[in-house]
Amino acid sequence: MRVRIYLTGVGGQGTLTATTLLARTALEQGIEVVSGEIHGMAQRGGVVESTILLGGFSSPRISLGEADILLGFEPMETLRALPYLRKGGHVFSSGDIMQPVSVSAGVDTYPPLSEIRRQVEAVAAKAWFLPCRDCGLRAGSAQSGNTALLGAVCASGLLPFGVPALREGIKKFLPPKLVDVNLAALENGIQAMHDQI
Amino acid sequence: MKHPILADNPGDRQLLLGNEAIVRGALEAGINMVTCYPGTPSSEVPDTFYRLRACGRYRMEYSTNEKVALEVGAGASLAGAMTLVTMKHVGVNVAADPLFTLSYTGSPGGLVLLSADDPGCHSSQDEQDNRYYARMAGLPCFEPASAQEAKDMTRDALLLSRKYEQPVLLRTTTRLNHLRGSVVLGELPGPAPLKEFKRDPMRFVPVPMVARRRHAAMLENLQKIQAEIELSAWNRVWGEGKVGVIASGISRAYLRDVLLEPEFENRFKVLELGVTWPFPAATVGEFLRSVERVLIVEELEPLLEEQVRILAQRLGLGVEVVGKGGVLTRLGEYSTTIVRRALAEFLGSECPEREEDSASAAPNLPGRPPILCAGCAHRALYYAVNRVFGKEAIHSSDIGCYTLGIASPLNNADFLYCMGSSISAGSGFSAASGRTTIGYIGDSTFFHSGITGLVNAVFNKHDIILIILDNGTTAMTGHQPNPGVAGELLGDTSVHIDIAKVVEGCGVTQWAKVRPYNLKATMRTLEEMKAMQGVRVLIVEEPCVLFARRTLKQVRTQRAYIHEQGQEVVACHETLGCPAFGKQADEVFIDPEMCAGCMVCLQITPKIKARKKEA
Repeated sequence: MRVRIYLTGVGGQGTLTATTLLARTALEQGIEVVSGEIHGMAQRGGVVESTILLGGFSSPRISLGEADILLGFEPMETLRALPYLRKGGHVFSSGDIMQPVSVSAGVDTYPPLSEIRRQVEAVAAKAWFLPCRDCGLRAGSAQSGNTALLGAVCASGLLPFGVPALREGIKKFLPPKLVDVNLAALENGIQAMHDQI
Repeated sequence: MKHPILADNPGDRQLLLGNEAIVRGALEAGINMVTCYPGTPSSEVPDTFYRLRACGRYRMEYSTNEKVALEVGAGASLAGAMTLVTMKHVGVNVAADPLFTLSYTGSPGGLVLLSADDPGCHSSQDEQDNRYYARMAGLPCFEPASAQEAKDMTRDALLLSRKYEQPVLLRTTTRLNHLRGSVVLGELPGPAPLKEFKRDPMRFVPVPMVARRRHAAMLENLQKIQAEIELSAWNRVWGEGKVGVIASGISRAYLRDVLLEPEFENRFKVLELGVTWPFPAATVGEFLRSVERVLIVEELEPLLEEQVRILAQRLGLGVEVVGKGGVLTRLGEYSTTIVRRALAEFLGSECPEREEDSASAAPNLPGRPPILCAGCAHRALYYAVNRVFGKEAIHSSDIGCYTLGIASPLNNADFLYCMGSSISAGSGFSAASGRTTIGYIGDSTFFHSGITGLVNAVFNKHDIILIILDNGTTAMTGHQPNPGVAGELLGDTSVHIDIAKVVEGCGVTQWAKVRPYNLKATMRTLEEMKAMQGVRVLIVEEPCVLFARRTLKQVRTQRAYIHEQGQEVVACHETLGCPAFGKQADEVFIDPEMCAGCMVCLQITPKIKARKKEA
């Protein structure tokens, strides 16, 4: 089973931490993994994109139309990255808007969430927009909302490992003081997904 | 707990960043000395060594620039230490002077130069192909394509360098530096023993007579290395058939993935070149004899392609060689899509229909360009400059976060070449045009290569204002130490150097120091400098806002808020461009979560006030 996952978010959100957690979890399950990320200038409030390729790929890059799964930590970034998704792929996105400067300055307009959803659903077999921030806050920190999204994707059955593996990964690879919060956020994410079925 | 990279547990599997794998490879070789100048995408190599320095296996330093880093490394290798010198691709330009001599005199303890290239200019001013340096300076060149190879090739490159006393180039690209992959650890022996220095001026002092002899010695040495590379497992043939592909660097990863697809599986005979210089002519020649046609896949310059064409001609082979052209351009990065199209074209078949063509077009959305952080002192300074000089001044920028002053509404960057160019290029511009010219340079960049330009400006009586944006750290590349960092943060291995004293020592008589959050004082000082002639230096001191929060643990408890809406507040938002500001239904607001409490906006309009941050 080979799976390409494209992850996108906004600098400072913790996208790269989430990427590494998922990649480590995969390796821990004995699955071949390559992951890619872009550091440096892109991080100063800009878009942060990363990749996880499971099951024996060599390249850390995902080309347009190649991703099986798109994980978006911000809805407009989910839409921006949509060309990377193959037709019939799956989308797991946060529904929490983070306005770019040009929007908060009143120069540009943020696309309506309904429009984002419409465009995403035109390509994806299934798209989830989850209240990640809320899942995180109820668990104890907004930042752990990223883990809610990871929980949903692990519960979907689309990966070669499931939720128990992610739970193990959280315990093993996150700092001890963050483990409980993230375990709770994970459950909240799965619940939020089930609420939408 | 021992850092996992230091685990003495051969056979253990870890998920490592390409740059971390390089560190592990160096440790497995027995590294003694590491020098560097940080720069994306190389920085995590020295940063990891810095974090692990307490292990006592090696000495490492952040040098002031790449030339210095290579010279310190060369000296250490001369004294018998196994040495790694790291930098980004453009840094090798700075280090080129010693590099070309070093390859003549050799590196007894072993020396590997890591050049982290950046095809696609993710965070660089160009996408030069540093494999040219291997050919020009005479360096064996390793090009890893996975985390495992990054580790193993670093180890092998160091051992090869030590064996032949010839410096070796480890050439990576951004994708390799910043990928994560599983790495099986090898043995972790102790540090290599120092090779005793044998005094030999007729080798190590390249006066012309010596240089002529050493050039011949280098070529002879490279021939021996080539013989070894011909047998190297890093150059391997797989697949079958009369249609060949030769690939190097990260292109090998793209090629492997495309060849997993049913349309392309089992249709090609592949030669992967992991060590590309000295060109393994025997290995490639044998491969060329076995195929009728061959496609060369390499990012950027057609270096392998040219060697293959020369070799085919020399051997009198009729093999058809296809390289650059069509989708295989000299620009940016390759990808599975590009390689897939190139292979299809090469086979003369249609590229298999893929979903990408029917998926979705790139939507036209509001961008998220990188910007100066909320509370960044650079913004305060730029605002003050624009108030004092209006649109008349010419802005000579430099390399660092402050280059982001290029963005509206600040527009404080008119030109830029490279590290340290602000002062010298600004001097030239001012001399030729007679226009008021302001150069901007950060603390680390000033120590890197600004001082020479400043001395030149004083010596040659240039007319320029140089603003040194001293934020107390190397901010852009991840807060590495530099000589300007406060002494108490440096620990006992480094010494703080006072920028003002350096400026004075360079012969500058007109200089001042300001805190940029104090707008009034900053603008008053700029007004004074505007009225003067000659070289004027303004040192602007305020810690990087991220560094202040994370490392200095500075807490600002006050947050700005809009006390009263109106045109003044709108103007403040539009000229300052602070990302903490926003607009909703014609009302300006300040996001208390984003506001860093710099209080610059309060000095622009009394309609913005401060209050204690809610817990």
